[in-house]
Amino acid sequence: MKILLMGHPNVGKSVFFNRLTGAKVFESNYPGTTVDFMKGWMRIGGEDVELIDVPGTFSLEPKDKAEEVSVEMLEENQDSVVVCVLDASKVERGLYLALEIIEKGYPVIIALNMWDVAEDKNISIDTEKLERILGVPVVPTTAISGEGFKELVSRVKDAAPVKIEGIVTSVAASVRSTGGGESAAVS
Amino acid sequence: MDEGEEKFGQIYFAVLGAVALAFGAAELIASAGGGFTWGILDSSGATDPLFLPWRAIILLSVGFFYLSSVKDFAEVHQLAKSVMGSIMIWIVAGMAIWSRIASSIPGEETWFNSLDGFLASYAPPYCPEMFLLPFSLVIVYYIFKAGETEK
Amino acid sequence: MPLSVDERWDLIDKISKQTVTFGAYKHTLKDAIAELTVKPLTGIPVAIAVIYGFWSFFCDFAGTLFTDGFMVKLFDEHWLPWLQSVFPGGLGNPLYALMVDAGHIENGVLVASDTCFESFGVLTSGLFVPFGVVLWAVVAFYLMFAILEDVGYLPRLAVLVDTILHKIGLHGYAIVPTFLSLGCNVPGVTAVRPLETRKQRFLMITLLAVFIPCGAQIGIMQDLVPELIGWIFLTLAIGYLGFGFILNKIVPGKSPELVMDVPPYQMPMLRNIASKLWIRTSRFLLVAVPFVMLGCLIVGLMYLTGAMDWLAAVFGPLLMGWFGVPAETVAPLIAGFLRKDLAVGMIGGLMEQGIMTTFQVFTSVVLLCIYFPCLATFVMMLKEENWKEFLGSIASLVAMVFIYGGLIHLVGIMLGVA
Repeated sequence: MKILLMGHPNVGKSVFFNRLTGAKVFESNYPGTTVDFMKGWMRIGGEDVELIDVPGTFSLEPKDKAEEVSVEMLEENQDSVVVCVLDASKVERGLYLALEIIEKGYPVIIALNMWDVAEDKNISIDTEKLERILGVPVVPTTAISGEGFKELVSRVKDAAPVKIEGIVTSVAASVRSTGGGESAAVS
Repeated sequence: MDEGEEKFGQIYFAVLGAVALAFGAAELIASAGGGFTWGILDSSGATDPLFLPWRAIILLSVGFFYLSSVKDFAEVHQLAKSVMGSIMIWIVAGMAIWSRIASSIPGEETWFNSLDGFLASYAPPYCPEMFLLPFSLVIVYYIFKAGETEK
Repeated sequence: MPLSVDERWDLIDKISKQTVTFGAYKHTLKDAIAELTVKPLTGIPVAIAVIYGFWSFFCDFAGTLFTDGFMVKLFDEHWLPWLQSVFPGGLGNPLYALMVDAGHIENGVLVASDTCFESFGVLTSGLFVPFGVVLWAVVAFYLMFAILEDVGYLPRLAVLVDTILHKIGLHGYAIVPTFLSLGCNVPGVTAVRPLETRKQRFLMITLLAVFIPCGAQIGIMQDLVPELIGWIFLTLAIGYLGFGFILNKIVPGKSPELVMDVPPYQMPMLRNIASKLWIRTSRFLLVAVPFVMLGCLIVGLMYLTGAMDWLAAVFGPLLMGWFGVPAETVAPLIAGFLRKDLAVGMIGGLMEQGIMTTFQVFTSVVLLCIYFPCLATFVMMLKEENWKEFLGSIASLVAMVFIYGGLIHLVGIMLGVA
């Protein structure tokens, strides 16, 4: 099993990577390009798992060389689990990439990173509900302080491929149960 | 912060801002004439002719930052200007201290400095920013206060 | 069933309405400070202060503490005399000249060198340049760079200079490869890849390779000619902006806006900084040390075989006539193709022998900067650009060197200092 770390640029992915891997990391060059990426090992349940820090990308429709490489790396590693790193204060933007990856059939686990920043900005996210709707594990993290990482690692095993149709239905169900309007938690 | 604290902050940083402006102007004039040393105040820029006007510009900006934050001092955007002014002093003064540390360790001819030589490296005169440094630290109290309000 | 783009956004909209709650948005002190650093009126003074801090730290860490404080003593007073006394051969012996000390002619007599800048042996200058001077400069630089990066200041600097750089067809992001190149041009050239169009990448690579001195070079300059360094930077900055402006006009293609995320300010993580510093510094050493030693060897061999004198005779008139620098500069210019730091060190050697005026030192240091990228950068450019662009870069480079070099000479003549 391999783990791919994916997300937008500037969501704290490199600190995230450093948090997850040991001291031994390798910077490698993607063949045929000058795009570099980091590779390291992490331990999950007593097993060594390879972790690859895929260059930051906004979507799976590449806009530049580095993004092209990201998409290729995803396609080359069909058997991997994708840890999708989102900026918790801009969840919508990050979810787009996450949904694209889910649609491609990868088992995904979502990290809502920069959780502290979201708190600073008075943004709150109902992670349990988000998890129910998406059907994939959702974990709030703050890479800079290391909060949430233990949970993240322990939940990697829960990541499984889900059908996008399932998400569409569960959103609809959730909308019905709360009366369809804004989230009930508006205060 | 309460009204008393705001009032104190306004007066304090108005004065500090005026002092910073005066120091900045003095350094700017000094840089045209090659610098001066007056008592324990050093504005000679002996190490590098480039540094004196550079520091003068920073000090003048610090003065403006402080003065412009005085009106409506408790408001977070206004307070931020004083915080920034203090940070700029910390950068320059911090580097002045670092410069003394760096030159205090190795000796002239010997590998390491003698104890006397080491201590002598920290003797006055000091640059204006070093004098402003302790006074700029008052802002820490207000940063702490602002953090409390945010919680 | 894959979703269309609109369906996907629609779904996200529904999901976020169900899960995300926005409170009344209120600025924190941190937000307010972040704002101050990107607005031009307040951001420019802050940038001036930050760069002051960067530069003073650099000078005192690399220059005062390590190089002048310890390394010069170690190399000039212990290592060089020791090698001069124990190495077989002696002045005039070819192997001794290559490895330890080539010496120089003073009043018709071959005399031994006093410093590791002059001696030019593989084991003296070849070790002193990378370990005595450059290593400390590079460590100081990358340490500060990593801190600024991790605190979150660098993207704000990019936002700040966006407007200025737009004028030369670049985006504020260009400050990142530019800044990175001040450490070493090789990672700088790699860092241009997020720029969106080929035109932007071409402009950036060409400008970097020509006008940005690397940390190694700056370290040596700071050690040898601290009084000239302000002028050298000014000259290079004018060239960077001026030629950027011209190139932007003549190179076809678009320069679209690059939307950049600015992360919030945060406390840097020590481990992250340490690992960046380690990776960058060790990579640098791996490239630098062999090239410096090889450079010493090649230059030494060229002197011994007389090739250098021949080249000096051939190119001397051109150098003297067009650029106003003495024929002896041929040697540093050749060494500069391998390593710029080594080459500036050689100019230092020439300076100590007293065969150059201050203005000639200034001109030759600037020339060294702009005339050709070092071999490692060169290889990187080849990897990053296609053949057409690469040849374009080289052609613009040659044109810029002759135009700018001649211009500097002309200004010197007009000011009466050349």
